Amino acid sequence: MNKPEYKTDLPVMLPPKAGVNGSFDFNLKPWHGLFLLGICVLTSTAAYTQADPVKAPPFEVLLRWMPLLLKGFMFNLIISVSAMGIGTLVGAALGLGQISLHPWLRKVSWFVTQFFRNSPWLVLLFFAMFLLPFELKIGGYTIPLPDWLKAIIGLSLPVMANVSEIVRGAIASLPSGQWEAAESLAFTRTQVLWRIILPQCVKRMLPPWMNLYSILTMATVLASIVGVSEVMTLTGQALSAEDGRTDLLLPFYSFILFLFFIYCYPIARWTVYLEQKFAVKT
Amino acid sequence: MKKLLKGSIAAVVFGALAMTSMAVQADVIDDIKKRGVLKVGVKADYKPYGFRDPSGKIVGIEPELAQDVAKKLGVKVEFIPVVSSNRMQFLQQGKVDLMIATMTDKPARRKVVSIVDPNYYSSGTNILAPKKFGFKKWEDLRGKPVCGIQGAFYNKKTGKEFGAKIVAFKGTAEVYAALKAGNCVAFVYDDSSHVAKTKSKEWADYEMPLPTIDDAPWGLAVKLGETKFHEMMSGMIKDWHKSGRILALETKWGVENTPFAKAMNAKYK
Repeated sequence: MNKPEYKTDLPVMLPPKAGVNGSFDFNLKPWHGLFLLGICVLTSTAAYTQADPVKAPPFEVLLRWMPLLLKGFMFNLIISVSAMGIGTLVGAALGLGQISLHPWLRKVSWFVTQFFRNSPWLVLLFFAMFLLPFELKIGGYTIPLPDWLKAIIGLSLPVMANVSEIVRGAIASLPSGQWEAAESLAFTRTQVLWRIILPQCVKRMLPPWMNLYSILTMATVLASIVGVSEVMTLTGQALSAEDGRTDLLLPFYSFILFLFFIYCYPIARWTVYLEQKFAVKT
Repeated sequence: MKKLLKGSIAAVVFGALAMTSMAVQADVIDDIKKRGVLKVGVKADYKPYGFRDPSGKIVGIEPELAQDVAKKLGVKVEFIPVVSSNRMQFLQQGKVDLMIATMTDKPARRKVVSIVDPNYYSSGTNILAPKKFGFKKWEDLRGKPVCGIQGAFYNKKTGKEFGAKIVAFKGTAEVYAALKAGNCVAFVYDDSSHVAKTKSKEWADYEMPLPTIDDAPWGLAVKLGETKFHEMMSGMIKDWHKSGRILALETKWGVENTPFAKAMNAKYK
């Protein structure tokens, strides 16, 4: 697995460097988060000091609702982690199914993957919400299916399909020599897969997998549309409890943006780091 | 997690019990007592009838009424936030036992859920609009964008008869924002909500200019076929009117006593 290092000064031999000649070179930096927080604070205080003194200043209102909103945000995180967990497990199996030697298994896995990968997330979420009963009766036992559980199931479907493609893609991206070499050493197919191919795939899959997780986290607010009491739903309810004051909109929604930013940004940075670390040098 | 565990244990026990008593018509009152919890569907974005306080608790006139019911049954109450577009489904599915969610009593709805007589409250349809537009009659809204809530019955007449273009939103917070941003010229909703709004300083430039139409009673509902619970609720509503409980709650939550509540109080006294 030692990659050859090219030591050369010839420009043609160097890997393409993004942004040097390109017109667009913009990376999110930590201070952008501060910028968002700045908007949040500014809009809540400075700009509205002239507002009449009867109303509580927006920042104070936001502070009052913050514990509830944070609780709602925790709920989003729980939904995202669980959906990712379920989606990854099922998706990995589906991805392996896509490269199975069994033609039917391969076709079915392919179809399921394509179907869920090419459906809008919100539509899948609606399906999960309204098709699943609120409790399941299996042989005399009743298993309650609360809304958040349905949201997890609904969101894990597209995650599953995307993970399936990530797995299939990673396996396909390995040079076929790896397979041939392993077979020539008399490994069985299962052994080749588990001992030689998949270990090499893991690091290739990690960055796209983390990307997917970031996207999923941000997609959890979709659950507000189907009535799960997550951070967006609670924000809406908090705003109507405050008599629909429009000066509160900006601080409240900036706060939500900020929450997602400080959670997702490190993941994005880490993904970039891993991508660089595992990049195939050309 | 603990709640989930408790919930699943309760559900399992409840399921087993339900299986053994399959032949006997299950009665929701027994179920509620066994469960020890009354699940009530209420609004969480409709001040002052049902809304959240900063601790996350759902409070307001309707949650207090629900509390009365739970007290009478000797159980705890659990509020499940509903919106106009899902409240009847929740009741049908059995996700809530009782629904007190600002629902207008309509014949079509009576086929879906069991609306309890007499009605506990009433309101009419009106619009909240900036004073500068100077709307005088409903016909003035023709062809103009008017905000509404998804699944609310107020939208229908405004859209069909008066030809307004309804822009429907999920909750009131979105509508108030849209109205202030000028996405629509008015918000069609019930008059009790508008009266409360026009009194607040925030909405001083807005008015409720049109004659109130469709003065329609609100119905709280139980699942179809739950006759025993239906009767019990009917008695409770009469008690509320008789004792002036509704009037007292209106005062407590800063709503002017409505003519309907006063009339019902006089009727049952």
